[in-house]
Amino acid sequence: MAERSPQVLLAEGLARQGRTAPAVTACQQALRIDDRDPLVHCLLSGLMLSEGFCEQALASAARAIEIDPGCAPAYLVLGLAYDRIGGVWNRSVLVWQELAEVVPDLAVAHVQLGEALCAAAFPDEAVAAWKRALEIDPRDSRAMYDLAVAALKQEGMATALPGFRKAGELDPSQDEFFFALTGFDTDVTPAAGVGEVGPDAGERLAAAHAFAANEELFKAAELIRMVLGEHPDNVAALSLAAHLYLKQEAVNEATACALRALTLSTQTPSAVYALGVAFARRPALSDHAAKLFAALTVMAPGHAMPFVLLAETRLALQRYSAAGEAYRAALALDPGCVRALFGEAAVALAEGDFTRATWAVRRAAYHDVERSGHFWRLYDAAVEGGAQ
Amino acid sequence: MSPDTGTPATRAARRNPLFPLGVNYHPLESESATREEWYAGDVDGDFAQFAAARLTVVRVFISWKLFEPQVGRYSDEAMDRLDTIIESAGAHRLRLLVCFFAEEPHARLLDVVWGQKRDPRTDAYLIERQAALVRHIVEAHRSDRAVFAWELANEAFCTGFESASDLDSWAATMREAVRESDPDRPVMLAVDAETLLHETRIDARAALDNCEVVVSHPTARYRSYVAEGPVTATRSTFLDSYLLHSTSRARPVLLDDVGPHGLEISHAEEASMLRCALYSGLMNGASGALVRRWRDMRTEPREPYFVDPFEALVGVCDSDGRTKATRRELDLFARMVARLDLRRYARTPERAAVLIPSERMASRPTLGSLYAPRACLEAFVRAKQAHIPITVTREEDPFEPFSLLVVPSVTDLAEGTWQRVAAWVQAGGSLVFSYGGGEFGPEARDLFGVDFLGHGGARTKATCRVAQQGVLGRLEPFEVAAEIPHFALLGPGASTVVATDAAGSPLVTLSRPGQGRAICVAAPFERVLGQSGLRTAPAELAAFLRTLYGAVADVSGCGPKVACDAPEVEIALLAGDGEDVVLLLDHGGKDVTATLRFEQPVATVAPVSGGTPISVGGVEFSVPLGPFGAVALKVCYR
Repeated sequence: MAERSPQVLLAEGLARQGRTAPAVTACQQALRIDDRDPLVHCLLSGLMLSEGFCEQALASAARAIEIDPGCAPAYLVLGLAYDRIGGVWNRSVLVWQELAEVVPDLAVAHVQLGEALCAAAFPDEAVAAWKRALEIDPRDSRAMYDLAVAALKQEGMATALPGFRKAGELDPSQDEFFFALTGFDTDVTPAAGVGEVGPDAGERLAAAHAFAANEELFKAAELIRMVLGEHPDNVAALSLAAHLYLKQEAVNEATACALRALTLSTQTPSAVYALGVAFARRPALSDHAAKLFAALTVMAPGHAMPFVLLAETRLALQRYSAAGEAYRAALALDPGCVRALFGEAAVALAEGDFTRATWAVRRAAYHDVERSGHFWRLYDAAVEGGAQ
Repeated sequence: MSPDTGTPATRAARRNPLFPLGVNYHPLESESATREEWYAGDVDGDFAQFAAARLTVVRVFISWKLFEPQVGRYSDEAMDRLDTIIESAGAHRLRLLVCFFAEEPHARLLDVVWGQKRDPRTDAYLIERQAALVRHIVEAHRSDRAVFAWELANEAFCTGFESASDLDSWAATMREAVRESDPDRPVMLAVDAETLLHETRIDARAALDNCEVVVSHPTARYRSYVAEGPVTATRSTFLDSYLLHSTSRARPVLLDDVGPHGLEISHAEEASMLRCALYSGLMNGASGALVRRWRDMRTEPREPYFVDPFEALVGVCDSDGRTKATRRELDLFARMVARLDLRRYARTPERAAVLIPSERMASRPTLGSLYAPRACLEAFVRAKQAHIPITVTREEDPFEPFSLLVVPSVTDLAEGTWQRVAAWVQAGGSLVFSYGGGEFGPEARDLFGVDFLGHGGARTKATCRVAQQGVLGRLEPFEVAAEIPHFALLGPGASTVVATDAAGSPLVTLSRPGQGRAICVAAPFERVLGQSGLRTAPAELAAFLRTLYGAVADVSGCGPKVACDAPEVEIALLAGDGEDVVLLLDHGGKDVTATLRFEQPVATVAPVSGGTPISVGGVEFSVPLGPFGAVALKVCYR
């Protein structure tokens, strides 16, 4: 492969920094040097799409594919642009099928294919595509949300709710929110083993949070047991214990720990969260969960997640307009919150507003792809592939 | 535009001659119909329905394929069928808009077998044949009163042109062919310059300048580009009026293709969309409105289903002819507008305008040219929310008719424009300009009385600290998260700093060169709002622009004649002799009560569509409106 020109590298760097205008200029300069570089066309199309100029994104992505029919990131942009324009679902379907062929293990291609098929009024084929996405990646929360929305359309809220709950559990941002509430830094690399952690309670707590954030639940539990053995009234340890129990579906134990923490200190947001989540898992206690999450919205202002959790409990209580309000509050704080957008779609469907629901799902798709960094992963793989 | 002679003023007219309503009458009703079944249905029955619905104008589409099955030999059967259509239209007091060359996905009207796949837009021989067909039809019907206008082509056909010169030349040839036999009737091209530009980068304005009547219509693609989101979202409901103003250029504008494009929206939303479009047309000076389709197309199963951007599938009745919510909406509007004698009222003149920069028309799109329509639409919406009678103008057009110009988030103006703007401000004009990046040249610095200290870079927060309260209305300080792509670092120079950012750098400056005012906003707030999604548009920025525009319009003498406390309600005042008509349209989509305040005491108010007048006895009264509700009220003064 020929060496990549400085203009291309500059364009890439600027695009990664989100500096659209100079990145576009750099792409245009790079194309003046070599207008047959598919990745530059692809980069330009991604930039155009990021600014909402779908027609220009389509033109550049199509050019990239024309030059290199295996250019996966170009298919991604092409499909997203068609989806965003809407109405041309036949083309969307073809593009997502192509992407699924070019990168067979890319779950998002199947999720998008399902959404295009659903918009094209092929609900059964759409469900099959989402199931295929979950086969590839069982933790794909968007596929689960899509299945829940499909169930809502076909069979009503009662059937859809478990799907929404399951999708919510797959959402990693809920755990991130819990750790944000605890105030512990979870970005640190956890120790190799429990034995390497110092005897101090503070050290053990910090290490337990780090283990928990890295899904090493048994190590975290062992450390918490040590802390609680010495300090049975340690509120932070009780909250984390509640969270760990919740992760293992032990709702009663989680409730006990969270209640104990709140008995000791009512102003512990992480305990309020844990108790709310525990109550939300018991349909009969949804009302209590709603009250706790409402309190959490006040205790953790600026976070979208408490509003999402509040909305989801209201959804379970079939209080749709109140759920809609909470989802809107969440979206005001984080307009790209995929979970809130799917929730809004559910509320809109329950209220019979099909257009708003479709719109919310389309926005969710756009933000999900943007946040998950699929474009750059595919782009980097294409650069790598070209280099090889 | 006046396609009907009207009825005596003593009784309510069935149709309004000054605001005719009409419909596109498509040749086929079903996808399974063959192309030979061109208007083979019950035309007379359909026309009777159109007349009963108080429609006046009907667009019919000529099938070249059917009319000229062999080169130079015209089909008598097709001509007879057209005769019958014209006769029937006359019998029902309908006026026809005859469209010669329409790209229509179902009827394939242009598919002449002998054309051998050559392009009828550029192939000299085919153009010659087209002109001959035009001559043949116009010659045969030049004296038919039922023909209102000749339409050369629709927009779908025009998107096939590859250059503006090809389009100009083709349109000139066809126009000449019409004029050989019919020197009087309007000749039209059903193209909206802005939407065609978006689709093809072709500037159709030269071709349109030769037309007596022009049309405006948001296409599905243009809507998704400039006002992404549900069709009943606020920005989207203003799109009809925005395009209407951008198309006008002092000629009658027909609001074309009114109604839903796709099948994705509910009947209630279709009705809201139609209501918004019809009222927007009436309130913003359209010369009439044409509904996209009468009956739903009877479609075949498609695999997978898709909508061609140019196909019209959705009508105001379902495929069996049953009334839909849109048809009821059309009836209500037609009944109301029939009672409105537009000869007795004058629309409030628009002396404020949003300026579309000439970079928008660049043959190769730049980022600036792509941002421009969104920023301009956003400025238009905010001005409308301040209830300013506003229109849209272009950089090349004269500025003299206006007292206020809004130049929103522009990257660059053409050479010579700053001098023209400066002269206009010197003579008393008020300019609101917001910085859209790029250079801030010496002319701009002189005009605004500021020093340009450089580009401050992108910001993630917009802050406004009011330094001089009351100078430009009651601006509210704010600090809000927003992606601000540019910020001009300004030195105050000779200007008055009205507001600053958090660090004290001027955000809004005011200078008073000559008799006018020049206001500079250091950040492209219109673009920020235009680029934002529905949820991300910061309400503080919208309120800031609304207040700023409203204050400048007030001091420039082009503010609203009727004050209203509900920004989401659009208002139009039709001034009469001793009584006015005020039209209200809610764009917010929620129940709202708008309180109107007039300059003089109001004696009574009554709905235009009929009803008992209600005594007011004061300068203000309130009007409740439902979601996307609209009402026309006759206001009598004491």
